[in-house]
Amino acid sequence: MRLKFYFPAILSLLILTSCEKEEFRNTSRVVIAIQSEPETLNPIYAFGINEGVITDHLFLYLLDLKWNATKGDVEAFPMLADKWQWNPDSTSIEIYLRKDAKWIDGKPISAYDVVYSFDIYSDKAVQSRFYGTFKNFYHFENGEVNIQKTFSVKDSFHLIINFMPDKIISLYDLAFPIVPKHVYEKIKRNEIQTAEINFNPVSSGVYKLKKWERNQYIILEANKDCFLYDEDMIKEIIFKVVPDYNSLLTQIKKGEIDFAEDIRPSDARQLGNYKNLKIVPVRGRQYDYVGWSNIDGKYFNETKKIKPHRLFGNKKVRQALSYAINRKEILDQYLLNYGSLCNSPISEIFVNEFDSSLAGFEFNPEKAKQLLEEAGWTDRNKNGVLEKNNFEFSFTLNIPSGNPLREFAATVIKNNLKQVGIETNVEKLEFGVLMDGVLNRKLDAWILAWFIPLPIDLKPYWYSDLTNTQMNFVGYQNRVADDIILNLEKKNSYNTYIELMKRFQRVISDDQPVTFLYWVDNIICYNSRIKNITIDPFGPVQRIWEWRLKN
Amino acid sequence: MTIEKLYLVLKRFLASLFILFLIVTLVFVLIRISPGEPTQKYLSPKLSPELAKEVQKSYNLDEPIIVQYFGFIRNMFTGNFGISYEYRMPVLKVISQHLPVTLTLAFFSIIIQLLLGYFFALFSVKRKNTLTDKFLRRASVVMYVTPGSVLGLILIFIFSVHFDLFPSGGFHSYFYDELSFPGQIKDIAAHLILPLLTLSLPGAALFFNYFRDGIEEVLQKDFVLYLKANGFSNKVIFRKHVLPNVLKPVLSVAGIELGFLLSGTLVTEVIFSLPGMGRLMISSILSRDFPLVIACAFVSAMFIILANFIFDIIKVKIDRRIWREILR
Repeated sequence: MRLKFYFPAILSLLILTSCEKEEFRNTSRVVIAIQSEPETLNPIYAFGINEGVITDHLFLYLLDLKWNATKGDVEAFPMLADKWQWNPDSTSIEIYLRKDAKWIDGKPISAYDVVYSFDIYSDKAVQSRFYGTFKNFYHFENGEVNIQKTFSVKDSFHLIINFMPDKIISLYDLAFPIVPKHVYEKIKRNEIQTAEINFNPVSSGVYKLKKWERNQYIILEANKDCFLYDEDMIKEIIFKVVPDYNSLLTQIKKGEIDFAEDIRPSDARQLGNYKNLKIVPVRGRQYDYVGWSNIDGKYFNETKKIKPHRLFGNKKVRQALSYAINRKEILDQYLLNYGSLCNSPISEIFVNEFDSSLAGFEFNPEKAKQLLEEAGWTDRNKNGVLEKNNFEFSFTLNIPSGNPLREFAATVIKNNLKQVGIETNVEKLEFGVLMDGVLNRKLDAWILAWFIPLPIDLKPYWYSDLTNTQMNFVGYQNRVADDIILNLEKKNSYNTYIELMKRFQRVISDDQPVTFLYWVDNIICYNSRIKNITIDPFGPVQRIWEWRLKN
Repeated sequence: MTIEKLYLVLKRFLASLFILFLIVTLVFVLIRISPGEPTQKYLSPKLSPELAKEVQKSYNLDEPIIVQYFGFIRNMFTGNFGISYEYRMPVLKVISQHLPVTLTLAFFSIIIQLLLGYFFALFSVKRKNTLTDKFLRRASVVMYVTPGSVLGLILIFIFSVHFDLFPSGGFHSYFYDELSFPGQIKDIAAHLILPLLTLSLPGAALFFNYFRDGIEEVLQKDFVLYLKANGFSNKVIFRKHVLPNVLKPVLSVAGIELGFLLSGTLVTEVIFSLPGMGRLMISSILSRDFPLVIACAFVSAMFIILANFIFDIIKVKIDRRIWREILR
């Protein structure tokens, strides 16, 4: 009797809810996988890649920057700025804003919002991600932009921005999302970090926040009031948090996810066999390297003076190490050619700057042995390990745990170095611990990656001032390289700029402060129902408003 | 007797508070002396080096550890665990956003574990030494030793990929709000079935063995024979005399298991993309979000103590003679 009642009830409930589910599945919607949850939707604090991607679709910029693969550089197109005009010596730019751009609360976006954005981004109390980066603007000692000298507002939609005369100004100087003055000015500046607008932004972009379910997903919906809106664009974009890589693969195969990045090469091959999936690599933005501590870190920490590292302080030794490592083996066997050999910190996507004449350090153990011998490292006691001044050539190579590529690379490197008489212990460290060791110069050698910023910026990585050059982990110092870096900061003709960039590559390749391993492709997998996707070095998830769904 | 009971409960409550205080202190010291800084994420060629220094100052990380500790303890006693560096909101608010998933999973999982364990044990004991009994005993060992990550992936492969019966991750669908009420219930149920199975099957295997061995042992006791000889029915003997004796060790283990479930079930949460306490705690450790790590440890420890207390109360309810021994 009871069964007779419950069975039809449950069955009808199932049928009813199944139809409902089908109806929602058919919405114009794309699901993008992200590995971790964004911290904020406030562009001021969008420090991470995910936050950057999402806020770029929530907030409009003055200019719309696009990557030009032929030029190997960005080009600017109108966005909030309808048109603009540089003065003859490029020290000021006159900008005319669109008059139809609005915040989602209906208020127009004006020149005052633009000025306020630069003001707030440079404010020390706000601790924005752009703090201290307005060196080309007229600014005070504490890094804050001098609003009076920099901006001249002609009317609500017309302003002039003045730059310091001796600086090289680029389009990137204007590449900031504009924030709403009328919302932010109601909040104390030192309280913006924890304000509600971090989670419910008053945005202006072509998408607006619909729902944020913590640690699960963020739904953006098309903003019909934005001038970029188009009837055919995808109506909902869902950023789904998928922390587990295997789950991500399952979900993309099943169609629960439409777009994922950082696919492993072996999986890319397999996913490529699915008819509904497409694989596209983003090239030339990230390279792996073996960092050799050029200086004695302990001595430097104690005295702030430079003493060459007992193993890696000698250029010949570093060159020998680079010759001894079979980079191609890793590229062929693990990366399955989703990448290319790296010979300098400038990749071939920078068509004009890239020096294709660099030979690089092709695997050559004999040459490595010869260089080591010239540097005084010989195996006198015939135990298979080289010695010099009673020191054996033995060191620990540190890698971050949970990274299969670097584990594979470390094993290959260990075996390669053993062939030339160098003993290597591989140690896996949790990323935070590894970074602590690298930053405090406690480690001798490590494998990490560097992501190349746009525009190319060499100074943070390679300039000799070790106190202020935060990314120069290896303690590289070379006067010639310093001169080139400083010259690059001056106004040069384009030809001189290109020549300086190429010279720098030759210098650094010869010095081998690190062993440049390979450029690692960011492998993207997406459902072929999405059309008109732009995937280039500017980023895998960009310009979603141009994406279309196949009917 | 009631006053003595109250005294014992109060004593246990104060001891629990002291343990919580010790745990918080220990976690505070450990996380501060271990390498890594929350400001490491501000290291980028695009960011100014001064930014990290400014942020460090605003987190009071430039002060001596002892000053930070006393500041933290003072705030803790007013219920303020601080602001999460990552989430930019009070840590207790962050935890409250992750607790519902953990509470739901833990509550249903412990019930499933106990029920499955109990009924399979009963089924097995009734068929003692038959092929079914032997099979269930072997299978329970296999189930118990199977890692959660493997079990989860197997379940996803079978029920999600192959048969497409359940979604492979998440707590509910994106269109949850747009569903009717029965649709919402079904949606959550569909999302939770696989995680619950992943969480519960190994535990059920454990309880199966506890129940099975317990029932078998008690059934062989002389008092059972005596009761039978006195004409008591098997049902009455089992319910009133066998089960209470079997339950004591089972409930002790259940208390520990519930505490473990409430403090987060990392593997299941990661595989099924569930926003629970386990994931929150690990991500806070990896990002060196000090206030959040401490608050997570505090809440987890509190739940473990609470879960054990609840099961102790149940034990007292079952066997009133031993309340002194249990509450002490």
